[in-house]
Parts: sequence; structure tokens; C-alpha cells
Amino acid sequence: MGNVASRFFGSIFGSKEMRLLMLGLDAAGKTTILYSLKIGQDVTTIPTVGFNVETVTVKNIKFNVWDVGGQDKIRPLWRHYYSGTQGLIFVVDSADRARIDEAKNELHRIINDREMKDCLLLVFANKQDLANAMKPTEITQRLELSKLKDKIWNVQPSCATSGEGLDQGLRWLADQAKTQTPAATK
Amino acid sequence: MASAQTALPYLTRTISAAAYANGSGVAAAGPGAPNRRTSLSSFPPSSRSASQMSQNSRPSRSPQHPPTGAPSDPNRTSDPPSSKSKTASTGTAISSQHSSLSGGGPRGYNADARPRRKLRSQYPAGRRQNHVEYILVASFDIDRGPVMEHQYPVAITGDEHMLAELMLPDQAHVRNQDWTIFFLHKESNDEDADLWQWQKEERRNRRRRKHERAAGIVHEYEDDGSGESDLDSQDTPDDELESDDEPKGGEGPPLVYVLNLVNTKQDKTAKRGAVVKAMAICTRHPFLHIYKPLLLLALEEYFKSPIPETLAMLYDAVNDMDLSLMPRLSLLERHLLQASENKDLFVEKFEQMIQMRIAEERGDDVNDQPFDASRSPPKRPGIFRSGTKAHIEGQAAYAVPRDTHEFESRVMYKGIPIPIKVPVAIMPETVGDFSIIKLIQNFSDSHAKSPQSFPLHPHLTTNGTYTHPIIVLVNALLTQKRVVFLGHNMPSGEVAEAVLAACALASGGVLRGFIRHAFPYTDLTKVDDLLNVPGFIAGVTNPTFEHHPEWWDVLCDLPSGKIKISSKVEQAQITDGLVYFQQQNPAYANMVNASSSSSSSGSAASDLTGDVAFMNDMLKSVNSRVGERVIRAKWRDWVVKFTRIAAAFEESVFGASALYIGSVDEPGNVNPPDLLGGHGYVWPDETTKAKELAGNVTRIEGWRNTRSYYSYIQDLAQLYTVRPLKELDLHHMHDRLRTQRLTPLQGKEIYLTLSKYVHSYDEICLLLSVAPESHAGLFYIALGLFHKEREVRFRTASLLERIAEHEAGRHWWNALSRFEKLAYIRIKREIELDARNKMEKDGGFSPDVVEKRVS
Repeated sequence: MGNVASRFFGSIFGSKEMRLLMLGLDAAGKTTILYSLKIGQDVTTIPTVGFNVETVTVKNIKFNVWDVGGQDKIRPLWRHYYSGTQGLIFVVDSADRARIDEAKNELHRIINDREMKDCLLLVFANKQDLANAMKPTEITQRLELSKLKDKIWNVQPSCATSGEGLDQGLRWLADQAKTQTPAATK
Repeated sequence: MASAQTALPYLTRTISAAAYANGSGVAAAGPGAPNRRTSLSSFPPSSRSASQMSQNSRPSRSPQHPPTGAPSDPNRTSDPPSSKSKTASTGTAISSQHSSLSGGGPRGYNADARPRRKLRSQYPAGRRQNHVEYILVASFDIDRGPVMEHQYPVAITGDEHMLAELMLPDQAHVRNQDWTIFFLHKESNDEDADLWQWQKEERRNRRRRKHERAAGIVHEYEDDGSGESDLDSQDTPDDELESDDEPKGGEGPPLVYVLNLVNTKQDKTAKRGAVVKAMAICTRHPFLHIYKPLLLLALEEYFKSPIPETLAMLYDAVNDMDLSLMPRLSLLERHLLQASENKDLFVEKFEQMIQMRIAEERGDDVNDQPFDASRSPPKRPGIFRSGTKAHIEGQAAYAVPRDTHEFESRVMYKGIPIPIKVPVAIMPETVGDFSIIKLIQNFSDSHAKSPQSFPLHPHLTTNGTYTHPIIVLVNALLTQKRVVFLGHNMPSGEVAEAVLAACALASGGVLRGFIRHAFPYTDLTKVDDLLNVPGFIAGVTNPTFEHHPEWWDVLCDLPSGKIKISSKVEQAQITDGLVYFQQQNPAYANMVNASSSSSSSGSAASDLTGDVAFMNDMLKSVNSRVGERVIRAKWRDWVVKFTRIAAAFEESVFGASALYIGSVDEPGNVNPPDLLGGHGYVWPDETTKAKELAGNVTRIEGWRNTRSYYSYIQDLAQLYTVRPLKELDLHHMHDRLRTQRLTPLQGKEIYLTLSKYVHSYDEICLLLSVAPESHAGLFYIALGLFHKEREVRFRTASLLERIAEHEAGRHWWNALSRFEKLAYIRIKREIELDARNKMEKDGGFSPDVVEKRVS
């Protein structure tokens, strides 16, 4: 009940909250993206033990972004973060051709979870600054995104260290959230 | 008695208390319990699903007298008087060693001034058990996540990966240093556990043989005094590790406590720029915090030389720590020491330990005889208080600690002596170093600014929607709810401390079962196992827990200081006890629902439980900066009061209580002559009693189906077998003196009973424990000096004299007001005068003012 009311007022005053979950294989650049969004500059990160969570405001939407460590041993924990998530940011290291299939499998496993069926999907094709990086179309193909039914998704090329593409990605999420709100309200 | 009980409806419940008490109920893992092949787990083996703790598993509640020492048993008397004469008092002689320590007060030679038990060390030298069992090192591998690097002296059996995860807490990467604490449960199929069980049985057998041999003198409670000392010497030193004079709770082998330090070092040369390593110490001592400085040094060392030898060096250093001069205290003594601020309390025991050591070093054979100062060497080497001028200047090898609450020792690590202070008296459920004051402040400040309104739950919101958060927390723990402490962006060490403090808060050193189900630090990786544990207390740093209200009943958010009751908390059931209470007390029936009605409580008028007043007093004490010890003592009083109210509730509703063992006051009950009846909590009048019961009904009913309730019944039964003065409820009598308006006759009865029955060392300890220094000490007892009858005044004076000679009692005597002391001196003179007159009159008969031992 309270939730509905706050959403109602939120839409009048134009401020909203959205819970995002950022996942991806280890060393894909999740934490760098998070802090680039948060403080607008490149930070040197070390492997995430557990998780990071920060709040980022873009276009009047408060994004609550969860960044969870990506080592394969700790991937089973991702599911505990699903409930209540409105958007998934999946980060791919575009230069890591060797592990793109592993990334695809993980992505499909997440998306097919019941708790994630209504959430938006944003893929950051990260590390575009690297010479051998795959282009967004190739990423789309390798991740087999066309197979996803009833899913709103977008692939956004990005470079976390320079911040390029990150803002566009969140703006896309913000736009989708605004158009989707009436339907998504439970 | 049995026939009277069968008429009571509650006895129709099926499963007997015995099934629970012997541990078989605890050992059975529920169907939902995870597969446990590992022998060391961070989860207790007793995980049962909540449904198994349902109503119908409640045992019958007959007041069970243990088979030994039934109230009418003539052998019950505490001590045969014959053994008394063998030990001579040394009170004055010892204290004269440093006169500054010994208090004033009347002195005499009294065998009861000291315990007749042989004084032993808590951790004797040359015992087999180590202080520290394992040292572990784990690191966060860039590719594999947490991994175990080294274990010393051998690998811990069990899930290594799980241990490594616990050692590397969430967000270790955002801070340079973090502490965590977690517990390991040795499981029953483990060899160590078998060994433990075997040792326990051996000890029991040995004790039984001993008793059989000493058939002539059957002692009711442990008395390893002169009578048994020759048999004693046949025991292995191992036997001295544990005494049977206190309940062990029957919960299985002791937990392994783990103190863990994790460091993150930025390192440009390492892959991805950082190295995260953790080192842990695994010990069975609850005072694991003493190892903090050593872990800091050793982990630093390990970064330099990451080899097993670094672990070995730490292992050897900590296990060389000498605690053999720390005396072992009985349960009552520990309780007295814990509740007292006095730095000299039981200093005699420390001196005695040193005396024994010196005698031993001279080659005297002290093994076959208990220490007895009358035989002690005439020339005493100096024993000084540590830190005093005499101690520093002198060349004494041994020193008495500055504060008897802490035993001072040291650990030599790489040639550096590191001072260590070990707490002397540790109550059950006290693990590590924490601050209850901090916990209270943390959850009181935001409530004080803007009171938080809770959704109502009969077990939790006992003062209505504005119940104080700390009371909600304690209620949650008492009624075995799932409690989570969440400290997002906080060091996990701080979260762990909050969990440990909460356990101590609800236990009060009285109740058990909290620590064993506590997870001071845990994370998402273990959530599935965690959810199999009914009524856990867990500390986490991951805010995801807040998004899963189905995982917890009560969530305590440390950064905001707010407590939440889950929207998915199981509703309290209507229980028989509640229904009976309402039927029996129709006038108060609607008050019971105060907790579930939306009455805005908080005003003193509706404070049925007295918790509002209690919390106000508590916060006042905290704000006036009284010490942690005082606050803990106040909580202990609160818990003791709760259990006594619960006992009174059971008696009033069911006719008998499992929480009371002792004589039952029935009109037809024939007490031994002169024995004053009465037991339990004391209210000024019946209305107050009914109101207080009404306020407590719901949480008592919630408590009556929990682990802590059942283990408390077991503890009481065990305590009863070792307790002095089984038939008297001293607490009850002292409370009557304190709270009720007594007629001179009633007062006389109490004073005469106290004076008649309180003689031995333990009996006086018991009396002191119900009259703590923080509650005016001996004030109410000394009021007997002003009773209108001469006999009462005389007897009270002789009781006070005994207390003043008592090792601990002398401190209570010293704290007595001058006014009462003067009255005492006046009465003593009167007694002497009387005696002289009598002598002159009767011509030579010895005065008979000092009564004979009767109990």
C-alpha cells in the first residue's frame, strides 16, 4: 500500500527509485562502472569480496545499483539479490572472446529465473576502448539476445574507465521505466 | 502430590520432559536439515524446523525433584559437622601480608570464612588441552574466490571452503582491516566429541567409585576437602579441568570460537592490485578477544613470510601462556565477582594459589593434602599486588593482580612479552569482548528522538506499539525469534559484537541457548543453512537481508538504530496458559491484550511489565556513565526477575511450576521445625502481582516453548543438587525484607531463619548473591539489629559477624553504613555483658549465645 502511494507521489514530483542489479563475469568492469557512475571518474578497483551498493541519480530517478562479485564460486549467490530487482545490468568484457559463451550461459540463467521475469535488461558491452573489442551487434549475437521472448533489452557499448556510454545506458533504463510504470505497478 | 497433579489439564500433554532433557530431542536433526558429513560446521547440528517445536511437543510440567536430595531426605544436610573442625581459619594471617587489602570489621577464627573445597586452577599447568586448537590462514583468490591457504597444527575437518568464506567477510575489499568472530560446532559423530563424551563418563564413573568408597561420609555436593583428598590424588590432572559443581547445560561439546583478522593490502605487483588475507585463531575459551594483539602481529608477519612456520610460531606462543595461577571459582563465587565492582574481592584465592605454587616449588607434597594455611611454611616469601611499589622494587616472582576481575599473564611472541588480561569470572553465554551499553545506546537514541511504532505482536510488543526497541529485542530473543543484526558499511567485527552483546543481554548469565545458535558474522553463502536453524541470532553486513523479510522475524539495523518486526513473522498462538489465566483472573483478562491492542502505552499507568520504568532507569544509569559491569548486573536482575515471574505465573495458572524446585508450601505440608516457608518472587500485594502477571503472560507463554526455557529447567535441576540450603528460598526472604511491610513477628521469623541456617561458606555466598552491593548490600539484613526483640538483634549480630569473617562477605560488611555498624558494636557489647552476667550467675557454664550449626 505504502509503496503504491509513494510511487504515486513520486510520479507527480518526478522522483522515482529503481533497484538495479549489476552482474557479470569477474573482471568485466562492474565495480569500475559503479564508481564511474557514482563519482564521475575512473577509480582503481580491486576484486569485490561480496558486493558493493551505491545510489546514483540520473534523470530524476534514484538508481540503487548493486554490484556483486563475479568469481564463479560466488555466482550461486546472485539469486539472493533477484527479488525486488527492476533492472538487470549485465556487464560483458567485449575483448574477452574466450569467455563470451560463459557470459551467455550466466545471463540466460539469470533472465530465466521467475523472480527476474519482469525486469529490464541492459547489457554494457564494456571495454570498447580495447583494440580487439567485439561490437554491440556481435555481442547481441553471441549472447543470443534475440532468443529472449517478452523481454525489453538493450545493448549499450561502453568504456567504464572513460565513462563513455554509461549515462546513455541509465537514460535508456530511465525512459523504459517511465513508460512501463503503469503496467509494472504491482 | 502426583495424584493432585493428574487433575491438572496441562499434564495431558504427551511427550515427557525427560525426552528433551536427555538430549535425544536435541540431537535429532530435522528432515529439512542439510546433509552433514562434515564434522565441523558453522551450524549447530540441532537444526530443527520450526514446526517441530510446535505446541504438542511441550513436555509436562511437573515440578521435578531430582532423585537425589528430595526435600525430606534426612541426608540432605549440607555438611557433616565432623569435617568442619579439620580446617583452621587463616583469614587474618593471610591478609596481614598486605594490610592495605584486608578490610576492618570484626575478626575471628571461623572455619566458614573460606571454602572447604580445595582451591584449584582454572587452567592447571601440564594439562592436555591447549588454549588454542588451530591457526588458519585464508586468502581471496582472484580466480577462485576465498580459499584456505594453511592450517596448523593439522587441518580442521569439515568444509574448508565454508571456513574460508567466513574468514573473508563481505566488503573486506573496502577496508584495510576487519575482525570477525564465528563459532564452529563439533558434531557428535566426530572423534573429538566421542573423546569428550568418554572423558565425561570416566569422570562420572570415577566420582561414583569415589563416593562408594567414601560410603561412610556421603557428601551431597562437591566437597573435595580433607575427607576425600587421598582419593583425589588418584585422579588424573584432567579431572580437574571441569568441576561438576555447576550445570553444563547438556548441550553437547563446547563450541570452538574463532577470532579472525582480515587485512587488505594494496599491492601494485599483485594481479588486480590487492592482496586479501585472513588469519584466525580457534579456541574453546570464551575470552577469545585476548588474542587480538597477537593476531595483528602474526598476520603482519605472514604477509612477509607466508609459510606454515609463521602459524606454528603463533600457535606455540599462545599455548605457552601460563594461566595456572588463576584460581577456579564456584558458580556462586563467579556470580559475586561479576556483580561486584570491588577490585579486591577473592584476592585471598590468588594469594593462596601463589602460596601453593611456592610450596610446590620447595618440594612440599601438596597433592595429597588440601592446602591448609595452618601447615603453611612459617616464613612466607613476599607476595605483592602487581604494579605496586613493593612489587616493582622487590624481586617477587609472583604477584596478585591489581584487579581480581582480571588475571594478568603474558605471551612471548618473537621475544616480545605481550601483556594479556584474562577475565577470571565468566558467566555462561558471555563470549568475547562486547559492550551492552553500546548496544543499548545504539537502539535507544533514535527511539528517544522519535519513538518508533511497531506492528503489534503479543510476544514482542509487551508495552504496546511504542515498546522500547531494546525490550522488543530481548522479547524476540526470549521467545526464540529469528534475529538479524544488519550493519551495512560497518566493519563485520562491530556487527559481531552487537550479536554477542545481544546474547549476553537475553541470557543475563542465567539462561542458555543463545550463543549456540548465534552467528556473530555470516553472509549470503550460508543463508540456506541459516534458515534451517530455528531462532537464530545472526550478524550480517549485506543489506540484501533487509529485502528478505521471510528470512527473519526481527531485524536490528545498526547504522540507523532502528528495529523492524518482519511483515512475515509467525503470529503467536493462543495458548492454554493464556486462556487459563484469563479464566482465573477475569478482572485482568483484558489487560493481557495490552500488547496486542493499540493502546498508546509508554505512560507509567499502563506499564504493566514495569519495563518502561526499567528502561528509563537503565538509560539514566547509562547516561550517568556507570560501568559495563553495573549494566550487566542490572540486566541479570531483569532476567532473573522474568524467570521468577514466569515461575509464579506457572504456579498460579497450572498449580505447579517446572521453574521451581524445593519445598511446596501447602497448608498440610509439614516443614521441618523452624523452617520458614515461602518461595518465589515477592510482590507488595495481590493486585500488583495480578497486573504484573497480566503484562507478562504473552511473552512468558512465548518463552515456555523455547530452548532457553527447557535448558533453564535442566540447569535448575542440576543446580539444585549442588545448591546449599535447598529448602530455603533466600532470595524470597530477602525480597520480603526489602519490599514488604512486615509485622515484627514476620520480620522475626525471617531474621531468625537466616541466622539459624546461614553458616557455611557457600551458604553465605548464596546470601550475598541475593543481597548484591548494588542493591544496598547487607542493609536490609542489618536492619535486624534494630528489631524490637532482643533475641532477633542478637542473632542478627552473630549472622553479621559470620558474614564479616567471610572471604567475600567482609567487603559487604565494609560497605555497611556507619549507623548500622555502630548498632552492631552496641549489641556485641550487650551480648558480652550478658554472657558475663550469666557466667557469674551460673558459675562457669560457657555462654550459649552463638548457636550450633543446624543446617
